[in-house]
Amino acid sequence: MRDETREFTPAVIADRTRAYVRENFLYMRPDWPLKDEDPLFGGGVIDSIGVIELVGFLQREFGCTLEEDEITERNLGSVAAIARFLHAKCNGGVRAA
Amino acid sequence: MCGVAGIARRRPVGVAAELLERMASAIRHRGPDGFGLHVDDRVGLTNARLSVIDLARGVQPMTNEDGSVFIVYNGEIFNHLALRGELEARGHLFRTRSDTEVLVHAYEQWGERMLERLNGQFAFAIYDRRAGSVFLARDRFGILPLYYAERDGDLYFASEVKALLVTGEVERALDPEGLDEIFTFWAARPPRTPFRGIRALEPGCCARWQDGRLAVRRYYALDYAEAATEPADALEALDELLRSAVRLRLQADVPVGGYLSGGIDSSIVCALAAAGSPLALRTFSVTFEDPTLDESAYQQAVAADVRSRHAVQRIGRGDIARVFPEVIRHTETPLVRTAPAPLYLLSRIVREHGIKVVLTGEGSDEVFLGYDLFKEAIIRLLCWRRPASRLPPRLLDGLYPGIAPASGKGDFWRGYFMTAGSPDDPLFSHLPRFQLTARIKDFYAAEFRAGLGPFDPLAELRARLPAGFGAWSPLARAAYLEITTLLSSYLLSSQGDRMAMAHGVEARVPYLDHRLVEFAAALPARSKLRGLREKNILRRWGEATGLLPAAVARRRKQPYRAPDVPAFFDGRPPEYVEALLDPVSLRRTGIFNPEAVAGLVRRCRAGRAEGFRENQALVAILSTELWHREFLGAPAPALVRARVAGSARVEPAPVETPAAA
Repeated sequence: MRDETREFTPAVIADRTRAYVRENFLYMRPDWPLKDEDPLFGGGVIDSIGVIELVGFLQREFGCTLEEDEITERNLGSVAAIARFLHAKCNGGVRAA
Repeated sequence: MCGVAGIARRRPVGVAAELLERMASAIRHRGPDGFGLHVDDRVGLTNARLSVIDLARGVQPMTNEDGSVFIVYNGEIFNHLALRGELEARGHLFRTRSDTEVLVHAYEQWGERMLERLNGQFAFAIYDRRAGSVFLARDRFGILPLYYAERDGDLYFASEVKALLVTGEVERALDPEGLDEIFTFWAARPPRTPFRGIRALEPGCCARWQDGRLAVRRYYALDYAEAATEPADALEALDELLRSAVRLRLQADVPVGGYLSGGIDSSIVCALAAAGSPLALRTFSVTFEDPTLDESAYQQAVAADVRSRHAVQRIGRGDIARVFPEVIRHTETPLVRTAPAPLYLLSRIVREHGIKVVLTGEGSDEVFLGYDLFKEAIIRLLCWRRPASRLPPRLLDGLYPGIAPASGKGDFWRGYFMTAGSPDDPLFSHLPRFQLTARIKDFYAAEFRAGLGPFDPLAELRARLPAGFGAWSPLARAAYLEITTLLSSYLLSSQGDRMAMAHGVEARVPYLDHRLVEFAAALPARSKLRGLREKNILRRWGEATGLLPAAVARRRKQPYRAPDVPAFFDGRPPEYVEALLDPVSLRRTGIFNPEAVAGLVRRCRAGRAEGFRENQALVAILSTELWHREFLGAPAPALVRARVAGSARVEPAPVETPAAA
């Protein structure tokens, strides 16, 4: 884990993730109402291959490594979940389940 | 195999021979060996012939003895010898050895009930001069195509839509609902097509036109009356049916070849064909430069095993993009995959090797439950029945390795599949695919979407399911949906007949012998899909007979795939791709949102469009724009005239006076 990840507040993580999802997964539907608690996977925003892309983005953007067993719907299932999970993981140093 | 076309007028104003010549010229690729026509004051019939049986005397249109019944016919009746014997016993006199003549006499003897007796792949039109009627029919599973349009009581029909459009009397217009179905099911559901007013005769249906009115009826319907247990003699019965289905399809007065995919279905067909051929069988395969798609090791092993003379069409960088416009000219429909393109190139080398007829393994995955979709449906049912179990996610991990990130993705799959729909929905098995495909519609222009209004392809499909559907097992329902939404209208058409006939090659499909289909449909589902082992009975047959080449016996089903986005964006895309995806061009067509397409192109160029969703979107958009330009753009009269001038005219030959083709 790199030190600079501590700078990312939940709001910053949510903003950047939301922008990334809009630009890469919802560019064809700018009218899609994406709220932070909306499901990203079951809701049809991101498909299975998109998960790989999203994980790659999160690791690059926020400088942390996601373990295989952390790639769950609970941790990554919505913009808000991602913000909570990454903030806890990066700041607490405790692996979120 | 051939191409047929014709016009029937409500009033006796005649049909211009020139009009029929134009129709035949448009489908000349289907029958480069001969051309014939019949015209009178009401009806005109024409045929472009590919000579396969009775090369010299099978000329069409063919008539009965007194010239009261005319036929133009595309296809093969594999039990024509048995039918001929039956008809001769009833006093019918035959002048040729062709199966075409069998149809003429069968019609005289049994009328429309003749269809129940046919074992074959066919689409034909019979003009009954005395009744003043035209009878159209298409085989049970839609192996061969037949389209029609009506205008003011006149009927136009043809093997391909382009023959209808060149008349200038059939409207060239888009049916937005047909397009919306393609972007749900991969193909429009017959009778709908992407052309307004042009209909596909449904598989297993026939139609009679008389006095300016057309009445369509179904003569064959799939049924799944599954036995509770597998009959003790099931393997023997399967053995007899498989051998008979292949043997019947080896009948021809020209050499017959085989397609080898590297899977078990085509391997079985080629093994049986090789055993039944006096000369070494010719086999043909597509291979890919991309090792993740290539199956050549298996293909070569099978070719060695069945001792065939094997030829391959290698698909390299740029090949698909280069022929894609030609492919769309032949499919006559937008696509969501490029998969037909390699088969277009394959039929070309088949023809170059002097082969006109090939056997394929198509149909087995539907009949013997080979696709992952069937397994997926079973696991999804398990997710619903045992929501707390860890097993279904693990099974999903195993079913789709390498698609989602590392292990633990089963949880993602569960979430994805649980939201797709519940087992109460009759379309349960197919909802994930239909919903995934429908994401293409995210790219619609707002006006186009608004124009569709409340149209819902899934609701239409639910409303048209057969009466007994609800009583069938979940896997029987899935098989029915697979056959009726994908096999007939996409695999047999865009990937089958159209790609083969583009180079005058006839594809024969032993697994769709209706006796074999009915046998398999009556087996319990677990005879076909046992646990998660697909095509179980076929594998058991292979083990028992030793006829399934060892190289593929234990092989798991590998879906046939071709590159989609990389076919066009591996380097700089071809000029036509850039031109068609240009915002000005897209705005003119009016189907897709130029800004959304620009976003897709940006991701394709960056090499980031890797998911199903974007791959299918690119192919859908590109093929729709090509299709629109080809068929709905202004006709080019100079081109039409040139094609007509280049075609030789052969007068029809009644059976009494046989003529050389």
